[in-house]
Amino acid sequence: MAEPILITGAGVVSAIGLGKQATLDSLLSNRSGVGKLAYLKTDHKEFPVGEVKFTNAEMRAMLGIPEGTVSTRTSLMGMLALKEALDEARLTQEMLPKVGFISGTTVGGMDMSEQFYLDYIGNEAHKEYISVHDCGSCSEMTADHFGKFAFATTLSTACSSAANAIILGANMIRCGEADIVVVGGSECITKFHLNGFNSLMILDQQPCRPFDATRNGLNLGEGAAYLVLETAESARRRGVEGLAQLSGYGNACDAFHQTASSPDGEGAYRAMKDALDMAGLDATAIDYVNAHGTGTPNNDASESQALKRVFGSVVPPVSSTKPFTGHTTSASGSIEAVFCILALQHGFLPVNLNWSQPIEDGIVPVSQSTEKELTHVLCNAFGFGGNDSSFILSKSVI
Amino acid sequence: MMRHYVTIQPDLAMLDGKFLESKEIGSALLVELYRNHIGDYPKFFKMDALCRVGFVASELLLQAENNVRFEPCDDRAVIFFNQSGSLNADTHYQATIQDPGNFFPSPAAFVYTLPNIVTGEIAIRNKYYGETSFIVLEQADSAVMARQLLNAFLDSATQSIIGGWINCDDDEHFDARLFIIERNEYADVETLAKDIETIKIQ
Amino acid sequence: MEELIYKLKQEIIEVLNLEDMTPEDIDENASLFGEGLGLDSIDALELIVLMEKNYGIKLEDPSKGKEIFKSVAVMADYIQKNRTK
Repeated sequence: MAEPILITGAGVVSAIGLGKQATLDSLLSNRSGVGKLAYLKTDHKEFPVGEVKFTNAEMRAMLGIPEGTVSTRTSLMGMLALKEALDEARLTQEMLPKVGFISGTTVGGMDMSEQFYLDYIGNEAHKEYISVHDCGSCSEMTADHFGKFAFATTLSTACSSAANAIILGANMIRCGEADIVVVGGSECITKFHLNGFNSLMILDQQPCRPFDATRNGLNLGEGAAYLVLETAESARRRGVEGLAQLSGYGNACDAFHQTASSPDGEGAYRAMKDALDMAGLDATAIDYVNAHGTGTPNNDASESQALKRVFGSVVPPVSSTKPFTGHTTSASGSIEAVFCILALQHGFLPVNLNWSQPIEDGIVPVSQSTEKELTHVLCNAFGFGGNDSSFILSKSVI
Repeated sequence: MMRHYVTIQPDLAMLDGKFLESKEIGSALLVELYRNHIGDYPKFFKMDALCRVGFVASELLLQAENNVRFEPCDDRAVIFFNQSGSLNADTHYQATIQDPGNFFPSPAAFVYTLPNIVTGEIAIRNKYYGETSFIVLEQADSAVMARQLLNAFLDSATQSIIGGWINCDDDEHFDARLFIIERNEYADVETLAKDIETIKIQ
Repeated sequence: MEELIYKLKQEIIEVLNLEDMTPEDIDENASLFGEGLGLDSIDALELIVLMEKNYGIKLEDPSKGKEIFKSVAVMADYIQKNRTK
């Protein structure tokens, strides 16, 4: 990549906390946020989930949004994360008309729609929520809370949405269409997709165990994270520092099945290869991989093969952080990007919790807290539709 | 104008500016086009409406292009835009979980509650390993689409794109305006935006 | 049994959208997956829903489906032995 793109701000909220400090504390002390369902109203109490530990009313209060204002859980979590990112990058309301906003989500305002769905029919109550149902309006609501962005675009490519928002934003910067683009994603848990994932029989009734021989599915999670992408030139001009830099990225299609990953991880392999090629890095330069690692038998077997194909016999330390947060679906790419930034800044390997037995022919993930100086880390996010993305974050040298 | 472009709406199908003969309307039109022009991919009948219209439109484009088909390739991207995401599929799936007395979440319906499954279906059919993406916009803004399509050529592997607008309000109401563009075919956003606009008007 | 097999074939055609097939086209002893009808993992999940919805059989472990969905005949046999409605 010719001009490095800096990350000059980052914000996050997930089951392990609001903000980077709380997130870091949880990661370093191996404290998972996955537990019994407490916030979503459903009969499916048997599935552990990684919920953000606030009600919508609590989030509205934190954001200074009056009670009764139309808002969705996806947009509220998005606002919490976006606030931290904008503050850190010192982007004020006056500057937003020159800043782009790209957000990944698939669920959008479904949480409210499913509550009020029956009311919509032949009844005026809650009609105002129809207009905030779709994914686009959720992103716009999140953005509009802070001011008028130059544009607000929504990426909807399932569980790789936020990762693809990072890619789309970086492409726009490289094309000279913007100096600063805020990218990421937000997604709340809904009954809609809890039941859907359950119908696909890929939810584990135990805490998820990525890359473990006994793994039996994923736990759903929720959250949001945004990164401020910025040219080095713009950061210099504004006097802001890079937390990390985006060195390369790739998106490829597995072209195998709507939901299942191919046995040899073709799409994942190609995405990682593309990211390395763009970064101009040899595979040996990667110090840590934050895997997609959902904990489903299919994903982890496929991703293991892809990792082995990319890295050969010397696979760098790998972990899936999904036992901390659950699978935050569309937001996972940016949430895990923030985890990678924290790992780069503080020199540690996030632990793959709940792991004890290797998969036959699989990779062996990081199972102990480890301090390690990191320079380049690779992060994977794969989505249904075979939409596989991978990006490389590096210690900022600027 | 791009070499190959296609429009499918409930009451018409046009390929490269010429009407395709058809009698049916809405969902029946898609089946008619499938039977008359494709016919060897029973998976078509398992798809939701968004995927059906995307699949048929892409097949028509690729037949017009007349290159060797089904060879694995990674130099063609599939990048679509729309307004309604997967709203139609969402409604169908929601119907399977709406009634507590008849609660049977359908995995086959849930699979299509992601708009980007249509890009995946086309990639699976054609063995496309390149970029796939799905972007939700407020409206069919030709300039935004043109810009983001041309940006995709930053990926040096990408030599061509099947792209365009594909929206589906319900099983009977859809609007696909797709095309193939090649790397270096368009020097600037304005020209591509103008051509996208032309397909819209037809 | 004959009757159940025929009914099952009709149900499979309907829920799996096997548009161009009739019950007569399905050999009840042929494999449903792979070479036979060419069904995939989502179809298998949909068959699990069919068994619960129409016959009151709840299958918790998807891998068990492999045995039961060997063929329409095997499936019909399983349903006859385990149905609750």
